[in-house]
Amino acid sequence: MNMFLHELKSMRKTAAIWTVSLIALSALFLCMYPSVAADAEEFKKLLANYPPAIRAMLGINIENIASLLGFYSMVFSFITLCGAIQGMNLGISILSRESRERTADFLLVKPVSRKSIISAKLLAALTTIIATNIVFYVTTLLIANAVKTEDYSNKLFFMINLTLFFLEIIFMAIGMVVSVFFKKLKSVLPISLGVVFGFYMVGALISTGKSDDVARYISPFKYFDITYIIKNAGYEVSYLVTAAVIVIAAIIASYIIYIRKDIHAVS
Amino acid sequence: MSVIEIKNLTKSYGKARGIKNINLSVEQGEIFGFIGPNGAGKSTTIRTLLGLIYPSEGNATIFGKSCIEHPEVRKELGYLPSEVFYYDNMRVIDLLKYSASFYKKDCTRRIKELAEVMDLDLKRKIEDLSFGNKKKVGIVQGLLHEPKLIILDEPTSGLDPLMQQKFFELIAEENRKGATVFFSSHILSEVQKMCSRVAFIKDGKIIKLEKMSTLQENSYKKISIETKGIIPKDVFDIKGVSKLESKGKSINFIFKGNINLIMAKMADIDLRNISIEEPDLEEIFMHYYVKEE
Repeated sequence: MNMFLHELKSMRKTAAIWTVSLIALSALFLCMYPSVAADAEEFKKLLANYPPAIRAMLGINIENIASLLGFYSMVFSFITLCGAIQGMNLGISILSRESRERTADFLLVKPVSRKSIISAKLLAALTTIIATNIVFYVTTLLIANAVKTEDYSNKLFFMINLTLFFLEIIFMAIGMVVSVFFKKLKSVLPISLGVVFGFYMVGALISTGKSDDVARYISPFKYFDITYIIKNAGYEVSYLVTAAVIVIAAIIASYIIYIRKDIHAVS
Repeated sequence: MSVIEIKNLTKSYGKARGIKNINLSVEQGEIFGFIGPNGAGKSTTIRTLLGLIYPSEGNATIFGKSCIEHPEVRKELGYLPSEVFYYDNMRVIDLLKYSASFYKKDCTRRIKELAEVMDLDLKRKIEDLSFGNKKKVGIVQGLLHEPKLIILDEPTSGLDPLMQQKFFELIAEENRKGATVFFSSHILSEVQKMCSRVAFIKDGKIIKLEKMSTLQENSYKKISIETKGIIPKDVFDIKGVSKLESKGKSINFIFKGNINLIMAKMADIDLRNISIEEPDLEEIFMHYYVKEE
């Protein structure tokens, strides 16, 4: 419990910054919604001039764009990008913290097993992500209600926002397993930005091609197709399962590797 | 039961570094010195003992249990690493409280006492501390739960002489109260003052393990003489003489063995001056190293 609280405390500030940024981003986009909805036809025409490949890359769906959910799904891809970076940052930093701040000689000689150290850190990261998502969801819901021109499905809105949580968890798990392979990890951000943008670009490229369901497995960003969610009021099970497998496998691997790891002296 | 038990401990990484077949046992109440030059394998041995590093072969236990399988035995362990780093954005007192929270006992009084002895300001942020002050945090942190085993890895680096003195008093006091101390260093004089037994390590192997008293007993003498006339070099070519240096009429060497033998030799020489001293550990130590090479 002491470790959990300690870790949570140390993540507090960064988590607040991320949450505020995510909210600011969604608020910025949602504020544009009333004007888009007012000139829906003009806006559609404008977007129709974009090549289909670009539209696909940006996740623009012309038919839906004038509805709140359709518009939100377009801007949501940027929000998930930010969320993924937050998740990845958390994942990479929790277990590498002792080597980055050179505090391994402190924490790892305490009378606790490495397993419980990992668990405490993982739990703290999960708590941070959950808190971020709750605050983000509630605030975004309020903003959406303020800008809406007609009623929309709250259930669908929730389901869309839940994918942010899924993506954060996926990238957190990936970040964790990446971090345990490093002997010495100096800074978190370059790796996390690299990996997340890599997947994001791959995801964007996949969507420009013919809708290829197999290729979509490559990028977690493509696991949750918002258009599909709006249409079917559900997630695609096969991708949901894949996401779960990735998360569980990455976390188990992180435990095994971190427990077996040699912790060398700082130099 | 030995407090520390190291059996056939081997850790190899690549070719050069690592430790080979280390055997050691430290009894309760002892102050045990672990001496070797930098890179000899002292830290590797200690880190394996603490469960930070997995051994390639053999095992290392404290209180009869391996730290890797039974992390809870570290409850009775206080460790001071050679270089101390803590969470920079914490205040000293918060860090010490966090440290204490792992031991499930009230350490507030002890923290205050230790901070007073070491002259440490508890309210400051760790990032604002100098190296020496961080080391003090490390000392308080290692001792605040009154451990039964204290492991020190190069403890005095960064401390000024006055603080070193206080630190040694503190350790001696803990030892009087029953704590066992395992003390690694490359500075021999500090080990000489405190330890009851000492092990020399070089290139990952223990080359000598001896009682301090045996080391310092009459077995070693540092002898310097000045002769009236030039004497043949091979006069001192006898068993037990090492580090023989002769410059004209003055001759220095270290002698180990029966003193009567060497005194008999001396009696035959026409001496102008003689001095017989206790060699310090440094010289004995160098003696081992030179012989090994």
